[in-house]
Amino acid sequence: MKQRSKLSQQQTQNVEHDARQETRQQSGQEFATADELLRFDAAQTAVPPHLAERLKESMANAGPPPRRSWWHRLLG
Amino acid sequence: MTDPAEGAELMERPAAAWPSDEIAGLYEQHQRAIYYLALRFLGDSQRAEDATHDVFLKAFRKLDQFRGESSARTWLYRIAINHCQNLQQSWHHRHVLPNSDDAIWEMSAAKTDSPLRVLETKELGQRIQQTLDRLSEEYRLLLLLVADEELSYEQIGVLVGQSTDAVRGKLHRARKTFAALFEQSA
Repeated sequence: MKQRSKLSQQQTQNVEHDARQETRQQSGQEFATADELLRFDAAQTAVPPHLAERLKESMANAGPPPRRSWWHRLLG
Repeated sequence: MTDPAEGAELMERPAAAWPSDEIAGLYEQHQRAIYYLALRFLGDSQRAEDATHDVFLKAFRKLDQFRGESSARTWLYRIAINHCQNLQQSWHHRHVLPNSDDAIWEMSAAKTDSPLRVLETKELGQRIQQTLDRLSEEYRLLLLLVADEELSYEQIGVLVGQSTDAVRGKLHRARKTFAALFEQSA
């Protein structure tokens, strides 16, 4: 009995938590600056997954990368 | 009976490998930053993908010229900025009216600083793009660079060819202008 009431208390808390989350989503988000907004946007932006394969193929067709010249290596 | 050669052709080609660990690491670490800059600077996902591809391919070809005097991120940004600016110029995508930023700045100058409110994150990217498109290329670029927390004002100054103080001043105006335009777009 006690366990059941504990469980229902937990369920109530979950429902309240969900409701709070929903309210937050409905009321939206605030960003203090343009920087913050753009950082959020950048974090949400995914690079197309096929781009890596496309790039690997292009690099394979381009041949080996040029080697550093002797004077470059010498002077660092 | 299937010809073995034909069967081999039907088999899937093995996935291409990175030519070196160095270039694989460069891509892994900086792809998002470069793609995001290209996306919001050019305003088109296909062009951004092509530009990101070309930037990393150029970096691969010029790897011998990278001396490590600057960070890899700023070196890639330099290639990306040049590439995107060339694309914009050659495709006649310069629609910005002279002093348009100043006009918006004057309009927004009297307003107090208020947070940027977003009700729907679903179409947020579109709204951000519309706002950035209305800024001058200079302001757009500064805002995109400062949004990268890995870059200092000094590094941004080097990338855009301006002093740190000039970057600070212009960023102040760019942020204000962005906020005013973003508010209008709601």
